[in-house]
Amino acid sequence: METKASDPCVFTPSNAGEFSAAVLANTQLSRRYYLLRLARPAGFVEPLAGQFVHVSVPSVDSGERFFLRRPFSIHDCTREFIDLVIVEVGAGTQALHRVQTGDRLDFYGPLGHAYPTLPGKRILAIGGGVGLAPLYFYGFRAPGGIGENYRLLYGARTKDDLFLDHVPLERSGVALSTDDGSYGFRGNVVQLAERELERESADAIFSCGPTVMMRAAQKLAEKRGIPHYASLENRMGCALGACRACVVPTNLGGPSPYRTVCHDGPVFDASVLVWDELPVP
Amino acid sequence: MKNDIGIQIGPIRHKNPVFIASGICGYAEEYSPLVNLSRLGGVVTKTITMLPRKGNLPPRIHELPHGMLNSIGLENVGLDRYIAEKLPQLNLHPDIGVMVSVAAETEDEFIRLAEAFAAQDGFDGLELNLSCPNVAGEALDQGRNPQLVERITRIVKERLPKKSLWIKVTPNITDVGSVARAAEEGGADAIAAINTVIGIDFDLATGKTVFARGSAGYSGPAILPIALQKVWECAKAVSIPIVGIGGITTIDDARKFFLAGATAIQVGTALYADPGLPERIVDALEKNPEWVSARALPSVRAQ
Repeated sequence: METKASDPCVFTPSNAGEFSAAVLANTQLSRRYYLLRLARPAGFVEPLAGQFVHVSVPSVDSGERFFLRRPFSIHDCTREFIDLVIVEVGAGTQALHRVQTGDRLDFYGPLGHAYPTLPGKRILAIGGGVGLAPLYFYGFRAPGGIGENYRLLYGARTKDDLFLDHVPLERSGVALSTDDGSYGFRGNVVQLAERELERESADAIFSCGPTVMMRAAQKLAEKRGIPHYASLENRMGCALGACRACVVPTNLGGPSPYRTVCHDGPVFDASVLVWDELPVP
Repeated sequence: MKNDIGIQIGPIRHKNPVFIASGICGYAEEYSPLVNLSRLGGVVTKTITMLPRKGNLPPRIHELPHGMLNSIGLENVGLDRYIAEKLPQLNLHPDIGVMVSVAAETEDEFIRLAEAFAAQDGFDGLELNLSCPNVAGEALDQGRNPQLVERITRIVKERLPKKSLWIKVTPNITDVGSVARAAEEGGADAIAAINTVIGIDFDLATGKTVFARGSAGYSGPAILPIALQKVWECAKAVSIPIVGIGGITTIDDARKFFLAGATAIQVGTALYADPGLPERIVDALEKNPEWVSARALPSVRAQ
């Protein structure tokens, strides 16, 4: 699928469906991260790497209800299951942390524009935090998998945040960094990317992670003249391109310079984004 | 057993009284993967203006324990592209009822909008958004001024006599009845009540308001009793139908609007969490048509 921030006037509805799925596992990966595995419902179309699902948060015992769904990138998807990596950032993700095997969750998807498929191109993927999810998924879908043509760099603050016990990241084609040097390259993942590009160039950069990280990746991509595709996140209402709540500023024309993360993204050609105006959560 | 729960509003017969509120479902096709739009009485498409609007600086949405604040700012493609691109797309589905929400800054703009739509087909009518809290000045001030509401209603109705004309009113006013009466005087076919309630929230980490514009529109279950009360007040004030909007998240919530005097209802914020809700309300009403006819306007008025 070609990724571009579409003209909002030419609208193609998604092929998403609404589903209820059993929770197969909810595994703690690290202090703040966990892996939510849902049974893949019949009729859930084959997702592309970079697409997401919009998940209902169940009410909690205290009576708190959540009126907005939460969007999560697909980390893995087989015939049997859909995996999501979730980080606790507020009451909603805390409530999702408490769901147990056998509970049911409502969601719709798959949604949004994916990373482009670039046959024969060398891709350098730069992930931080939960931003690992779509890049990991892409790696398994890419021809040849993670390796020579799809190098995956993943950075975290410390070794504990790398959840190596759960996600097979210690492999050829993957390089890891920690800010404190407790594992892998000492420094941030964009510094690691710079070093990797000096060793061997790439035809495209994919990124997903904190805004600051992706902004640095864009500076690196500009410096090197390499196309860069970044996957953004934002708070969403409909997640279908209707409500215009999750917009980000771009340098594109049209009735508005804003584009929706949910429908025009979440993966954007990073050169169209106005990086200095993107929210830094 | 499916009963006929069709309703008549002005010149238009709607197959049932359940609509999706403006601003929620965009130009409608966005929700087509998840909602069988042809099952509904109709959709009210996102407010359009003469010229495109880019909308407010993000962030634009903020969840709260009993609802949410939004500050979208009427981002829209503008009249020309709506007519050239959005209306034809909707007309691919002739069984979808379409009310077009419009807003304007001046009476002259309302005239031009009305004349533009008079030349079109494929929609049931207009809902005038005289109550958006998220744009500077005009819209909300219009909706608070009964004389202006009457004039705007009249100049639009004169140009679109065969279409339905709904006036969407603000709850951010002491006497909503006076605005509803003004709309009725001007020739409105229905009062759509209510738009969002003005609210504000602060980010304790920064000490600033959550939204760049400060105030925003509050919606969701928290505003249900406010909406019911305004509908009840409007029902006492006018004899034209009321379209009840605000905080519906269950079938029972919808039933309460009919008791308050509404002829039809719109589902808004709840669609984000529960896209199936409007269809379930239609199903429930078809099984229990007495819920729709439960409104006893004379007795409501007598209270």
